[in-house]
Amino acid sequence: MRTNVFVPAWEWQSRAVLARHVRVHLRNWHTAMLPPVCEPLVLLLAFGVGLGRQISDLKWGGAPVDYLTYLAPGILAYTAFMTSFFQSLFSAFMRMRYQKSWEGQLTTQVRLEHVIWGEAFWASSLATFYAVIVCLLLVAFGLSGTLDLHWGWLPAAIPLLFLAALSFSAIGLLFTAILPSIDHIGLPFFLVIMPIGFTSSTYFPLPETPWVESLVQLNPLHQLAEGLRWLLLQGRWTWHLAAAAGLNLLTLLILVPVDQRLLRRRVLGDV
Amino acid sequence: MSADFRSPTSSLLLEVRGLVKSLGGRRVVDGVDLSCHAGEVIGLLGPNGAGKTTSLRMCYGFLRPDAGSIRIAGHDLATEGNAARRALGVCTQDDTYDGDFTVEGNLRQTARYFRPRIADLEGRIEALLDQFGLREFARHKPETLSGGYRRRLMIARAVVHQPQVVFLDEPTTGLDPQARVAVWELVSQLRASGLAVVLTTHYMDEAERLSDRLVVLQSGKVRATGTTRALLGDVVGEHVVVMPFDLPGTEGVKAWLKERGVRPSTVLAEWHFALDAAGLAAFVAEFAELRYEVRPPTLDDLFLALSREEVR
Repeated sequence: MRTNVFVPAWEWQSRAVLARHVRVHLRNWHTAMLPPVCEPLVLLLAFGVGLGRQISDLKWGGAPVDYLTYLAPGILAYTAFMTSFFQSLFSAFMRMRYQKSWEGQLTTQVRLEHVIWGEAFWASSLATFYAVIVCLLLVAFGLSGTLDLHWGWLPAAIPLLFLAALSFSAIGLLFTAILPSIDHIGLPFFLVIMPIGFTSSTYFPLPETPWVESLVQLNPLHQLAEGLRWLLLQGRWTWHLAAAAGLNLLTLLILVPVDQRLLRRRVLGDV
Repeated sequence: MSADFRSPTSSLLLEVRGLVKSLGGRRVVDGVDLSCHAGEVIGLLGPNGAGKTTSLRMCYGFLRPDAGSIRIAGHDLATEGNAARRALGVCTQDDTYDGDFTVEGNLRQTARYFRPRIADLEGRIEALLDQFGLREFARHKPETLSGGYRRRLMIARAVVHQPQVVFLDEPTTGLDPQARVAVWELVSQLRASGLAVVLTTHYMDEAERLSDRLVVLQSGKVRATGTTRALLGDVVGEHVVVMPFDLPGTEGVKAWLKERGVRPSTVLAEWHFALDAAGLAAFVAEFAELRYEVRPPTLDDLFLALSREEVR
């Protein structure tokens, strides 16, 4: 019986798949925690503090801003993007293709729709958790006096980051569905991560060229990074956050049915 | 025998009617009916491409049938999917255990994918570890086990939630003889405990030994069904004559067979052909001087007969 592809998201089987991933991750927490702590720390130190000393005339929103302050919200958005995309692509692909744990789950009361939602929720939950770690690092920088943000708005960023990560996981799962083999894993990095990342204003302000400015409005990562920047630097909710949420929801509405259809064909040989 | 399983009854637990499925524009399964009762093992046989795997994948909910119905323990798989899936267990042909968990962790994790939850899960896992001889490997990762023990784990996973119907898809492929016998014993235990077992295998001795009833698929349809003996008699014949085809005088045999519409199968340097009692008597009278062997038909003969029909 065919059902709405969004309904299984709320069913217990999707939570059971999510719980399986959480369980495995918690068992390896001591090694799994190193990258989400070290990577943003190194980026904030190397780029924010180190490179920031060489950048004296950075302007954002019409006013001068130091580079670490500019970078902090961008790193937050980028962490959600990268973690979610990587998990829903590489890790999910390994579980589907090589570990065959998807097929094992499908021999139970779990259906493919639940496996896919479980993967998406796991990718977005992990991405949000990693973003929380970045938040804690930013607070530590704040306590050391090197960073000043509107700290009260930091918790408000968390649900936005979760929604963004969920939509990025739908993009990752699309590639999980269509990549012929692990040898092609570099393709989505080239086709998605580089264009979205480089036009996201995470690391540097984009040139004020009309066509560039128009184009990046369609980039959800750009909208998220800019929205968080206005929120955390100025304490202002702007249309960037609404645009980010809208683009994220649109991505989910379009890609979830596509992901389910393509993965059904790939995993079960059915259409 | 573990007391964990349900007690045997004679109820119909698997009921498949008019199953149809087309894949890639080709009708792979074309009106298949299947049934299996509590405490019964049915062997699903057929040459490659006969529709066995597709039929099975529909039975355990991987594929949606284009037509037909599947009832598991009285629950329609299409409309009562959760209840039907709760009553079925699946041991896939490939090892699909979760490599991130130990042997006992796999049993525990599989159980978590079922509702209502399994009562006294830890007790159930302990019982399965003993019953399937997995106790000493309970804390090992499955990939460190031998093929035979990995299969045991796969079957234990398939029954951890105490299903009523279990599908075993080529459970002994690639195992050594000792491991195969161990799996046979487990299958017998499952039958004795009252489960309805659907088994596919390419080993004819295994199908004959384990199955109460055989269902032979050919070109997506049920070609024959029944006990091994009855089925061999219907499809193959009463007696099989085996003779070298390169001996002097075999030209006469070829003509004799052609006259009666019998087509021999060629196996290495031998002809294998089936005859009824009267035909055998006539053959013996006609070719008394030739060297040949007469034996009862086997499931291998059945396969050869079906393959020959497919070629035609």
